[in-house]
Amino acid sequence: MAAVIRWLTEPVPLGRLAAFRTLIYVYVILDMLAFTRWVRGHADIPGEFYRPLLVGRLLPLPTPGPELVHGVFWALLVLAAVAATGRLPRLTGAAVAILYFEWMIIAMSYGKVDHDKFGLLVALAVLPTVGRARHGDPTRSEAAGWALRATQLAVVATYFLAAWAKLRWGGLDWLTSATLTWAIIRRGTFLGEPLLHAPWLLIAAQFGIVIFELLSPLVFVLRGRWRYAAVGFFYSFHLVSFATISISFMPHQAAMTSFLPLERVRPVVWLRGWLGPRLPDWLGQRAGGRPARHPVAVAGDPAVDRPGERADRPEPQ
Amino acid sequence: MERLPRHGQWWRLLVTVVAAGLLIAGSLWGEDDHFPFGPFKMYASAVDPDAPAEDTRVEGVDGTGAVVLITPENTGIRRAEFEGQLGRFREDPALLSTVADAYASRNPTAPPLQEVRIVVRWHEVRDFEVTGNWTDEVVATWRP
Repeated sequence: MAAVIRWLTEPVPLGRLAAFRTLIYVYVILDMLAFTRWVRGHADIPGEFYRPLLVGRLLPLPTPGPELVHGVFWALLVLAAVAATGRLPRLTGAAVAILYFEWMIIAMSYGKVDHDKFGLLVALAVLPTVGRARHGDPTRSEAAGWALRATQLAVVATYFLAAWAKLRWGGLDWLTSATLTWAIIRRGTFLGEPLLHAPWLLIAAQFGIVIFELLSPLVFVLRGRWRYAAVGFFYSFHLVSFATISISFMPHQAAMTSFLPLERVRPVVWLRGWLGPRLPDWLGQRAGGRPARHPVAVAGDPAVDRPGERADRPEPQ
Repeated sequence: MERLPRHGQWWRLLVTVVAAGLLIAGSLWGEDDHFPFGPFKMYASAVDPDAPAEDTRVEGVDGTGAVVLITPENTGIRRAEFEGQLGRFREDPALLSTVADAYASRNPTAPPLQEVRIVVRWHEVRDFEVTGNWTDEVVATWRP
């Protein structure tokens, strides 16, 4: 049991958690403004169209109307923007998690349930448990580790259980069925449509999809470069799906960044570094603000190969 | 390094196990209704390589006789939502009046719809190949 707890709470730098948190809350804003803009459309649909999901019947949540839909929309936009800055992380994070869940119920209670949200919903649910985390902070934290691990598990479960669902509904026949052909007929792109003339390739792709989904949990036994290569492969799968059958799976892709060393991506620091010499003194100081907390090398430290690597290493005992 | 206290470790373990249990149960026995713990059944059915492929659209006809394609932009309703509730519309086409209402509230200056119909275009498929032949089936029609 101790080993399981250790694995679930394997510490990660707080800077990684801070970057993931900003990325997820910025994604929520983008999602509402761009990728799932259609949810706001449910404000104008008469109540007869509403078919509440089990959770909406149990709670019981109100039938969406213009006040509810627009109210949740604006509240989420403001709260997600505050949460993205890392201020009041528990309060704003919990509010965003609850409101986004209601947003999803408004989205999916009209006859169509999407299956690309689980990782994002888990990320939103666990992020408020971490508390304060500064960008660039190399201090390793078990609370941050659990938040990222829980999100990673949700992402991988989405793949693995998708393979299970294919066996449950389609059976082994799924592998040699015309499911991808059907997908391209319905929503193929100019890149996907030529594939209709190569059904053997689509069948090969179906075998490939099930094999990759069943093997996806192996990402947890891979280390270092190999793990990043596996995650890169997952991303390439979504790139090809989007290019051929216009399915983006964006929320899942946002959650999947929980596998990446996001603390190395420091756009604000880079911008300051680039703008620094070009800024007048008073503005440079202002924009520079507090210097980033970089660790200082001392005698006895293990050697590092590249910037940021130190943050991945266990602290010397 | 920031360590978790013992109780912090245990409730995280408990939450992880309970959520995993719900998710696995949803995949084994659940349906879409059990969101967010329902099965991940996107494209999970095995499509027969000789069965026609359906392509659903919803059309409105306004007072001038013009045919308007119903889209998420002009009504707020997605194609998949019509497909998900197709059985209801087949049984009770009068429900399609709600589409005309949604269209009117989004396009107050446009001529109101005098007819709304759900049409399924069946593309013929033979041995994985689309033959190019199709037939349109009107599934439900509403007129005031």
